[in-house]
Amino acid sequence: MAAFGSFALIVALALAAYNLLAGSLALRLIATGQPTRISPERLADTARRAGIAIFFAVSGAAFALVWATFANNFSITYVMEHSNRALPAAYKFAAMWSGQEGSLLLWAWLLAGYGFILRLTHKKDVKLYAYAGTILAGIQFFFLLLLNFAATPFSLFPGPTPTDGNGLNPLLQYPEMVIHPPMLYLGYVGFSVPFAFALGALMMRYPGDKWIKITRSWTTVSWLFLTCGIFLGMHWAYAVLGWGGYWGWDPVENASFMPWLTGTAFLHSVMMQEKKGMMKQWNVWLIFATFLLTILGTTLTRGGLVSSVHAFARSPIGNWFIIFMVIVLAVCIFTYILQRDHLKSEHRIESLVSRESSFLFNNLVLLTACFVICWGTLFPILSQFVQGTKVTVGPPFYDRVAIPIGLFLLLLTGVGPLLPWRSTSMKAIRRNFVLPVFALWATVLVCLFAGVRPWRNGVFNRGDFYALVAFALGASVVTAVLSEFVRGARVIAKQTGRNMFSSTVQLARRNTRRYGGYIVHIGVVIVIIGLAGSAFNTSSVAELGMHSKMTVGPYTLECVGFTQDSNRDYNSEYALLNVYRDGRREFQLTPAKRFYLASDQPETIVAIHSVPAWDLYVVFEGTNPQTGQPIIKAFLNPLVGWIWFGLAVIVFGTVLALIPSLNPAATSPLASTPRRISVEPPVLKGGD
Amino acid sequence: MSETAGLIAGILLLLALVIYVFWPENAFAAQRQKTQLDFLLERKEQLYENLRDLNFEYRAGKYPEEDFQVQRAHLEAETAQLLAEIERLQRA
Repeated sequence: MAAFGSFALIVALALAAYNLLAGSLALRLIATGQPTRISPERLADTARRAGIAIFFAVSGAAFALVWATFANNFSITYVMEHSNRALPAAYKFAAMWSGQEGSLLLWAWLLAGYGFILRLTHKKDVKLYAYAGTILAGIQFFFLLLLNFAATPFSLFPGPTPTDGNGLNPLLQYPEMVIHPPMLYLGYVGFSVPFAFALGALMMRYPGDKWIKITRSWTTVSWLFLTCGIFLGMHWAYAVLGWGGYWGWDPVENASFMPWLTGTAFLHSVMMQEKKGMMKQWNVWLIFATFLLTILGTTLTRGGLVSSVHAFARSPIGNWFIIFMVIVLAVCIFTYILQRDHLKSEHRIESLVSRESSFLFNNLVLLTACFVICWGTLFPILSQFVQGTKVTVGPPFYDRVAIPIGLFLLLLTGVGPLLPWRSTSMKAIRRNFVLPVFALWATVLVCLFAGVRPWRNGVFNRGDFYALVAFALGASVVTAVLSEFVRGARVIAKQTGRNMFSSTVQLARRNTRRYGGYIVHIGVVIVIIGLAGSAFNTSSVAELGMHSKMTVGPYTLECVGFTQDSNRDYNSEYALLNVYRDGRREFQLTPAKRFYLASDQPETIVAIHSVPAWDLYVVFEGTNPQTGQPIIKAFLNPLVGWIWFGLAVIVFGTVLALIPSLNPAATSPLASTPRRISVEPPVLKGGD
Repeated sequence: MSETAGLIAGILLLLALVIYVFWPENAFAAQRQKTQLDFLLERKEQLYENLRDLNFEYRAGKYPEEDFQVQRAHLEAETAQLLAEIERLQRA
C-alpha cells in the first residue's frame, strides 16, 4: 500500500502542475487572442480535467493510508506512530488526521474534493471557473509538493517492522475527535474556493459582482464547517481536558478563530457589494485575508512556532508555509495594484445611521477583534525576535479586550437589521427601536432583581457586569429579530389570509438568506448567554473516602465506590458518586482516569450532568498516594448547555440561508413589481 | 497488497487518469465574453430586488411614509438611469 499511496501522490502532483501550467497558458492565449496550433479552449479543458483527476489520485493515496492503518501495516512509519492493534475502528480512521503527514493528506484530499466540484460545475461561467480552477491548482500544487517531499505519509519504518504501533494520543480518543478535525479542515480548506474566485475575478477584471453570488454558497458552507469545527473543538476541550472550561485562548484555538472573524465580516460586507456595489476593495481584501489567516493558522500548528496542546513538534514544514504565505501575499498585492481601478465603489455611505454603516461598523469591530487576537497570538514570537525572551499573553489579556468587543458586536447584531438602507430618520428610529430598548431595560431590572449585581458592597465585579450587559443586549437583539419576523409575517398574513405560523414560514422561504441570517443571530445570542454564564462558575475540591461528602452549588456528592478496571487498550480508575439535591438522591456520576498502555499516557474522563440551567462537571483528579483515596474536583458551570444549543440554532439558520429563496413570481400577492419606471435619462440641471 | 501489486495499481490509475485528461473531445463548454450590457442587466435585477425589499419593508411598517417616498425616489432614479443606459447599448 505504501508504494501505491506514494505513486498516487506523485501522480496528483504532476496533474496539479499540469493544471496550473496548462491552465495559465490557455488563459493567457485566450486573453491575448494569439493564434496557436492547439486551441486554447482545448488546452483549458485538459487543464480542467487534470484538476478533476487530482481528486481521484489523492483519494487513492488517502484510501491507501486508511487501508494500511486498518491492516496494521506498521512498516509505514506514520501508521506505527499513530495507531496500534488494540485501537478501536473509529479511531483507526481518525488516526489518518492525528499526525502531521496524515492531516496534510486530509487537507489535500478535501481541497481536491472542493476542486472536483468546482471544475465539474464550470458551465455556470466557463472563463471565471477556468481562472478559479487554475488558482486552486496552484494551492493544490503546494500541498502536494509538501506531501511528496516534506511530510511524506508513506515513509517506511527504518529497520525491522514493529509488531505493534505506539497508538493514538489518548486525548484524541474521544468521539468528537473523529469529526472535529475534518469539520475544521472543511472550513479552512473551503475558504480556498472563494479566494480563488476573488483573485480570478480580479485578474480577469470580471465585469459585475456575479462572482460573489457564485461564491456565496461556497463561503457560507465553509463558514458553517469552520463554525462547527470550532464548537466541536470547544466541546472536546470541555469534555476531555478536565479543567472545567471550553476556551483557553490557546494559540491554535485563536488560529481557527481569526479566519472565522474575517469570514464573518466578509459574509456581512458582501451584501453591500451585491445590493449597492460598495466595498469592493474591502471585500476582495477580506477574502484574501481570510485565506491567508487559514494558512497562518496552519503555519502555527505545523511549524511548532507556538506552544499549544494542538501544535505538532517544531518542524521545517513551517518554513514551507511561510514561503507559501509570502508568495500568496505577493500575488494578491501585485494583482490588486494592477487591477485596483476595477474595484471602484458605485455608491458612498450617505449617513452614519444606516444599514450600510452598521455593516461597516460590524466589519471594523470584527477586524479589530481579529487584530487583537492575532497580536496576542504572535506576541511570543515577536517578543522573542525583538527582546530575545518569549513573553506569552494569557487569557486575562484576551478577556479584557475581547469581551467588550464581543458585547459591542452583539449590540450591532441587534441594531443592524432595524436600520434601513441609505439613511434613517428619527421617526424611523423611534418606530423600530422602542421594543428592543424596552426589552433591554426590562432584562436589566429582572437580572438585578435576580441577583446579578455588578456592584456588591461598593466593589465593582467585572464578571457580573459583563454578564448583565450580555443578558440585556441578548434580550434586546432577540426582540429586534423577532419583531422583524412578526412584522413581515403580518404583511403576508394580511395579504394571503394565512395564519401567523404559516405566514412566518412563507416569509422565511421568500428570503431565506435574510431570515436564515436572523436565525443565526438568535443562535449567536444564545451562545453569548451561555458564555456569560461563566461569570457565575463555582468549584470545589475534596479528597473523598467511602461515604464522605462534598458540596457544590445545590448538589451534594457522596463517594460510594472507588474501582479499577482494565482492557487491552487501557487501565482505568474511577469513582462512583451518588449525587443528592435537597436531600434526595438524583443520579450517579462516574468520573474516571485512564492510562493507555500503548502510549503510556493518562486521560481524564470527565463526568458531566447537563441541565439547561447548569452543568455539574466532575473530574477525577487522581488518588492521594498516602491515603489511596480519590481526589474529586467538582464544578458548577451555569448555562454551558446554551452554547451547544446555540450552535444547533446557528447551523439551522445557516442551512436555511443556503436554501434558494422562492422566486418572487411564486409569491405573487407580495411580489410587488416596481411601478413602471421612466427610461428617459435624468435631465442634468445646472451648469454642465 | 504487496509493493509490486501496489505499483501495478498505481500505474493503472495513472493510465486511466491520463486517458481521461487527454481524451479527444471537441465539444468544450464555451461561453461568449461577458459584455457591459450583461453586467447592466445583472445590476437591473439587483435594483429591482432592492425596490421589492423596500416596498415590503414599508408595508411591514419599518419606514415612515416620507422616508419611504425619498428612498423609493432615489432607487427609481437610479433604475431609470440604468434602464436608459441598457436601452442605449441595446440600440447600439
